[in-house]
Amino acid sequence: MAHWKRFSVILIVLFLCAPTMVSAHGLSSKDAQYLQLIDGAAIFPLMYLGAKHMVTGYDHLMFLVGVIFFLYRLKDILLYVSLFTIGHSITLLAGALGGIRVNPYLIDAIIGLSIVYKGFENIGGFRRFLGFQPNTRIAVLVFGFFHGFGLATKLQDFSLSKNGLATNIVSFNVGVEIGQLLALTAVLIALSFWRTRSGYLKHAYLTNSLLMCAGFVLVGYQLTGYCVAKS
Amino acid sequence: MSPDLSTPQPPSKRKLAVTTAIALAVAVVLLATVVLPAEYGLDPLHTGAMLGLTALSVPPAAKAVSIPPEATEFKPVQDGPIGYYNAAYKVDSAELKLGPYEYLEYKYRMEKDASMLFSWSASAAVAHDFHGDPGTGKGSEHSYDKKDRQSSSGTLVAPFAGMHGWYWENPSGETITISLKSAGFYSSAMEFRSDRTRRAHELTSLKSSPETGRNESK
Repeated sequence: MAHWKRFSVILIVLFLCAPTMVSAHGLSSKDAQYLQLIDGAAIFPLMYLGAKHMVTGYDHLMFLVGVIFFLYRLKDILLYVSLFTIGHSITLLAGALGGIRVNPYLIDAIIGLSIVYKGFENIGGFRRFLGFQPNTRIAVLVFGFFHGFGLATKLQDFSLSKNGLATNIVSFNVGVEIGQLLALTAVLIALSFWRTRSGYLKHAYLTNSLLMCAGFVLVGYQLTGYCVAKS
Repeated sequence: MSPDLSTPQPPSKRKLAVTTAIALAVAVVLLATVVLPAEYGLDPLHTGAMLGLTALSVPPAAKAVSIPPEATEFKPVQDGPIGYYNAAYKVDSAELKLGPYEYLEYKYRMEKDASMLFSWSASAAVAHDFHGDPGTGKGSEHSYDKKDRQSSSGTLVAPFAGMHGWYWENPSGETITISLKSAGFYSSAMEFRSDRTRRAHELTSLKSSPETGRNESK
């Protein structure tokens, strides 16, 4: 009993602190200054920044928590995480290399929406209202595309030197996957501890509702940002 | 087929609708009371001001870049090859410590066409950007020299009035010391650091000669 309480407290605290821990569009100003100064391939720094962005990127992490919440078998976890990885890698590379520019506020609002979607799916919302479960694999893949565009906009915010651009973007992508693996491991360890308690399923509903709530906050936060930036 | 069938029967429509509404309502309350005041300074319920959150919404750049007032005595009057000033030049020397991965900016207030001489060297190579900022807003900086260096010496004739100086960043895990010496027709020096602190540096006016030890700068 005490565990789920502790968990939800941690969730709320984390989520309230998150905007102050991580700058609005991802990379802290020190890293941003670094990115603008580099000229040529910088494989490991970019990998580090990609990994850091993923580990501290609460929006991607919340989505992943939603995705693996009801996945117990390693095979399923690997399948879904691979779909997410394929999705975001395609758009990260296409966006950053192909110079496709998407408004970062709108893309981050959609990422917030992906968390709401996953939470709603996890509490059985679609099954009840639609009478069937929309394909969860396609949903993860499609939202992966949006997360990838989000990652691309983070890089595009900085005028990266043309010199070594492709290497740097690919390094960033590799870093993102390493960071995702690390974060996922931590999340899985935490979840499997929690799963041994009877409270897990009992409070799955509450946890996923909290996830939805956090997603809504992100949507509001980013849409307001969009309006403020426009005016 | 779908792996998330752990809840055999989904909750009722009513329960789902209520939950979604509550999640949305809590989100709106959090946005209005905490997130929007802290992020954008939008404070519809005045909770941001109450909790001191609106201060977070002021971008650091706006706090850091305030350009000291114009100093007419440091504006040169050109006569042939000579630029005359209504004041003696100032000299400055600074020892600056850069902790691991920190950065700092050290800049002088200079009028248009004012000159200075400088030499600096660091205990290890640093990321570096010698630049000027007219203070006309975000992104108004102009870069003069932007590359990794360990030392540099030269002269600068300010292309516009504003803050002119260096950005140095320590790319390593070791503390780096930078020593800077300069002389020129600048009116003040300011140090900005990565922890968002700023500090004005005392400049030595040429009149305060080391022999007498008297400081006559007015």
